[in-house]
Amino acid sequence: MALNFMDVFYRAYLGEPPNDALSKSMANSVVTQAIQGGIAPYQEYLLQGSIVDTSRDVLLHRLQGLCDNAEGMPQKFQDHEMVFMMRGNTPQQIISFRVRHSLHQRQNWVLRYTGQTEIGDKNRQTLVRTCCDVATSDNVVQFLNEMGFRLDNEFIAKGFFFHKGRMRVTVSKIYKILQHDNLDNLEQLTMSHLVELSVVAPVGQEQIGEDMKAFAEQLKPLVQLDKIDHRRLQTF
Amino acid sequence: MNNPMQSKEEKVLESSIEKLIQRVQDMKNSLGSFIMKLETEYTSMTWPTVLDNFALLSGQLNTLGRLLKGDGMPTLRNHILLPLALNPDRDPEIEKLTEGRVVAFNHDVVPDYLRTKPEPEVEERSQQLITKAVTVMADNAQKQLTVLNKITSNILDIINSHKDDWESECNKNSQQQQTSSMNETTSLLQATLFGKGLKQPRRQEPVTTQQPPTSMQNQTQKIQGGAGKVQSTVKTNIKSGSTMHPYQRP
Repeated sequence: MALNFMDVFYRAYLGEPPNDALSKSMANSVVTQAIQGGIAPYQEYLLQGSIVDTSRDVLLHRLQGLCDNAEGMPQKFQDHEMVFMMRGNTPQQIISFRVRHSLHQRQNWVLRYTGQTEIGDKNRQTLVRTCCDVATSDNVVQFLNEMGFRLDNEFIAKGFFFHKGRMRVTVSKIYKILQHDNLDNLEQLTMSHLVELSVVAPVGQEQIGEDMKAFAEQLKPLVQLDKIDHRRLQTF
Repeated sequence: MNNPMQSKEEKVLESSIEKLIQRVQDMKNSLGSFIMKLETEYTSMTWPTVLDNFALLSGQLNTLGRLLKGDGMPTLRNHILLPLALNPDRDPEIEKLTEGRVVAFNHDVVPDYLRTKPEPEVEERSQQLITKAVTVMADNAQKQLTVLNKITSNILDIINSHKDDWESECNKNSQQQQTSSMNETTSLLQATLFGKGLKQPRRQEPVTTQQPPTSMQNQTQKIQGGAGKVQSTVKTNIKSGSTMHPYQRP
C-alpha cells in the first residue's frame, strides 16, 4: 500500500520516472528512502554571488529578459528570517531550523531545514545540500521554542524574485534588525545585494547543474555566481 | 676580375627581379579572384569577406614595399631599359608573357609602358605650381609656414586630448564593470548562513538561559521546604529568586 502511494506520489510530483535501469534503481532508492524517512528527499542545487547596489537595476533588467516572468514589474518580496538552534551534548551537534515569513503576506510561514552543504568535485557545477521546506502556521516560533530551540539570529531580506523553468533566482538585500521586536528599525548589512540561483529537485538529477551553470554564464560579468565553500566561510 | 663581379651583380638583380615578379604575380592572382568574386557572388557576399580581401591585398602591397626597400634589393633606379627597336607586328612571345594584354611592342604602347616622367599635362601643372612657389616672398612663405604649423599642432592637440578623454572614459567603463565584490558576497553569506554580524542587538539570550536554572532551583527548594528542612534559608532564596525573575507580575 505504502509503496503504491509513494509511487503515485512520485509520478504525480516528480514526473514519470526515467526508463533506463540506473534511473529506475535510483528512483526506487528514492522511494524507499522516502518511505523510511517519512519525507521525500529533496536536494537544493545552489549558486551564490552578490551585486553592488548601484548595479542592481542593470541585473534586474537582464534577469527580466532572461526569466519566465518577463512582463510587468519583477516580483518583490520582503521576508523575515529567524534561525533557531538547538545544541546537543558536543559543540558540533547543532541542529538548526530556519523560519521565514513574508512581511507582505503575513500568513505565509515556512520552516526550512538544510543539510550539510556539499562542495563536490570539479565535475559538479553547483553546491548541493539536502533540504526540506514545510509550510507552517504562524505559531511555529512558539512550537520551536517549546521544543527547546532558541533563536540564534534573524534578519530581513528585501528583494526580487525571478524564475526560469524550475530555476529560482533571488536578488535580495540583507538587513540587520536593530531592535528585536521592531521590524522597521533596520540597518543594511552591506552595500550589495545577495544573488542566489537555486533549484530544489529530487535526489540524483545532476543535469540541473549544467543548466544552472549555463544560466549563470549569461549573468557574467555582472554577477559572478559561484559555488562558494560554506565550510571555508565558517572560520571567522 | 671585372667579369665575375658583374655576373654576381647580375645574379642578384635577376634573383630580386624574380622575387618581385613572384610577389606581383601573387597580388595579381588575389586581385583576380577578388574581382571574380565581386562579379559572380555579389548577391551572397558579406561585408566581412570583402574586408578580408582588402586586408589580403594591403598585406601583399606591404610585403612588396618591404621587398623593394629591403637590403637585398639592388638600387633599381640605376638600371635603365633601352628599347632598341619597335615592331608593329604581332609578337606571340610578348603576347604570351603578358597573358594577351600587350600583343605587339609597337609605337602605340611603348610611350605608356616605358614612361619614366609624368604625362606632359601633369608636368606642365607641376611646373606652374613650382613657379608660383618661387614667386612667393620668403618672409611671406615663412609666415604662412608658421601659421600652418600652428594650426596643425592645434589640431593635433585637440585630437590628442580627445583621445585621452576617450581612453579615460573607457577605463572608467571598465572600472564600472566591477559590479560585484567577493568580500561583500562573503560577508552576506556569513551573515545569512551563520548569523555573523546579526547576533549583536539581542541581549535577551543570557536572561532566557539563566531563567530555567533559577526556576529549577526554586522548585527543588520548594520541595526541600516541603520536606521541612531549614525553612529560613528557603524563604530568602525564594525572595531572591523572585526578584531575579525576568517576568515580574504587577
